[in-house]
Amino acid sequence: MFFRMIFGTLVRQWKKMLMIAFTIALGSSLATAMLSVMLDVGDKVNQELKTYGANITVMPKESSVLSSLYEVEDGGTSGAYLREDELGKIKTIFWAFNIVDYAPFINAKVTLDDGSETSAVGTWFNHHMELPTGEMLDAGVTSMRSWWEVTDGKWLDEQITGSRNVAMVGTALAQRLGLKSGDTFHVAGAASDMQLEVIGIFDAGGEEDDRIFMPVDTAQTLGGLDGKIDSIEVSAITTPENELAIKAAKDPKSLTISQYETWYCTAYASSICYQIQEVITDSVAAPVRQVADSEGAILEKTELLMMLITILSLIGAALGICNLVTASVMERSAEMGLMKAIGAQNASVSGLVLTEILLTAAVGGSVGFFAGWGFAQIIGQTVFGSAITMRPVVIPIVAVLVLLVTLAGCIPAIRMLLRLRPAEVLHGK
Amino acid sequence: MSLLELKNIYKIYGDLHALDDVNLKVEKGEWLSIMGPSGSGKSTMMNIIGCMDKPSKGEVLLDGVDISKESSKNLTTIRRDKIGLIFQQFHLVGYLTAIENVMLAQYYHSVPDEKEALEALDRVGLADRAKHLPSQLSGGEQQRVCVARALINYPEIILADEPTGNLDDANEKIVVDLFHKLHNEGTTLIVVTHDPEVAEVAQRTVFLRNGKLHKETINENFTGEIKFDK
Repeated sequence: MFFRMIFGTLVRQWKKMLMIAFTIALGSSLATAMLSVMLDVGDKVNQELKTYGANITVMPKESSVLSSLYEVEDGGTSGAYLREDELGKIKTIFWAFNIVDYAPFINAKVTLDDGSETSAVGTWFNHHMELPTGEMLDAGVTSMRSWWEVTDGKWLDEQITGSRNVAMVGTALAQRLGLKSGDTFHVAGAASDMQLEVIGIFDAGGEEDDRIFMPVDTAQTLGGLDGKIDSIEVSAITTPENELAIKAAKDPKSLTISQYETWYCTAYASSICYQIQEVITDSVAAPVRQVADSEGAILEKTELLMMLITILSLIGAALGICNLVTASVMERSAEMGLMKAIGAQNASVSGLVLTEILLTAAVGGSVGFFAGWGFAQIIGQTVFGSAITMRPVVIPIVAVLVLLVTLAGCIPAIRMLLRLRPAEVLHGK
Repeated sequence: MSLLELKNIYKIYGDLHALDDVNLKVEKGEWLSIMGPSGSGKSTMMNIIGCMDKPSKGEVLLDGVDISKESSKNLTTIRRDKIGLIFQQFHLVGYLTAIENVMLAQYYHSVPDEKEALEALDRVGLADRAKHLPSQLSGGEQQRVCVARALINYPEIILADEPTGNLDDANEKIVVDLFHKLHNEGTTLIVVTHDPEVAEVAQRTVFLRNGKLHKETINENFTGEIKFDK
């Protein structure tokens, strides 16, 4: 009988129920879209910001001290180096999966044929790694310096050039030497000299336009720096810093055990730095504060905006449901009064109305969920140029939100039902 | 012991005494009519007898038990178990068929039984209209469904509020015939009506005026037979 009544209401009042379902679908779709984007926006913004460079730099401990004291950026001047054979360890730390890219740098002073000196920078371009975890990674400046404009030739591809002596030359230096792609030129380093083939000319828009970039082993051969690295730039997906992260960055030993565990197991830039230091001998890893701060600020503001839109959309949906359900109950007050008159208790009548609305909400919520998933993809493609990953946790969150919003929207109608006196509605008084 | 007894009943709204010291006894199996002009307190009295309202003062004894101080929840239970209601406006659920409307009363009372509901419809001559929606039934047929719904849980009292108020003469006769039938079967009937011809077929008629029991007449000629001629 109960289901006959539910079915009867849903079928015979389908227009009202459709409006309620539509309202719930609207709220649910916005909540789904915003939550999906909100939960994925961290990665998306990080990936977006990653194109502006690394957010962590790793230097030898000694040169880090010099840098701090004298604000010297060139790690090579201290005579302290990192070990090339430890580079792979960066992808073995606890937050290895958050390390999306990294590249080592080794500077060698070279003399050109015109007698001028410049920096020969050895680095990875698209260095292929097979990690102990089975993961494959192509890391290097090709992705970490994505803003470089290759004005002539192409990006250096380590997989193609192999052991040839090749380089990419900054646009200012190339202009001065009259170089173009395919040319060769002579450089003399502290340990050896060689002919380098120009693969591409790049415009970085800064100091790098006066430098020569080449594979690590080529620069090491020129400078006699085998197995040595000046610095490492790391691009990692990080969680915005908070008080705990700031406290830990100053001194991890000041944390309690539980604080330490929380900090260590959260992808703060400072905890990732700490873990990198643990695997790279005599190193100091530090966040590039400007980038890290930008990430945090943008993330916080974006998430706040999404949260506000979600809350407002749900409040809007609750108000819409409230109006529709109240109107529906008012229209059916004689029917509800009759049910009470023939023996229905308040709980039975309220249960009937709630079941009708919750069933409608389930349909509207499901439709809204899939629509919201579609909206999220549109937002993802429009804003970030990639799909939004649907986190499974969105499903229960949206389900609970739909339930709460529907119940909240039903409160005035249920209160009205509880106050409804059969004598008044049945006698038209 | 009377089936129903009202003792010094008052219903007061501010300065208005809708019922003013009303005393009334209804015996089991009796057919009572309550008459009076508009505003005389008929509906208030019906609401109190029907457990849909509580008096401001006085006692309502149903089967010897005072129900005047019961909670709304308990009054609903008493109404469900002991009283069958018939309304002037029929008040059938529009999206349920005739038989489903009868089963609705069963559902809130105990367990719906389609066979029993069909028998109740048969008693009011509507077995063949069981699957029809109220909108597909005439006014008289709707009122008969209402009577079947009131009967289905074997109440101690059938309380009818202007049961023929919305019916034409032919249907009025059918409904009054049904009341005779029910009375002959031992059902206690309380009929609130404006219509003297409907009232005078009862065993006893009480007249209300300004919330007071104005007079009472006994139908000396009551035989249980239909003497209904319009």
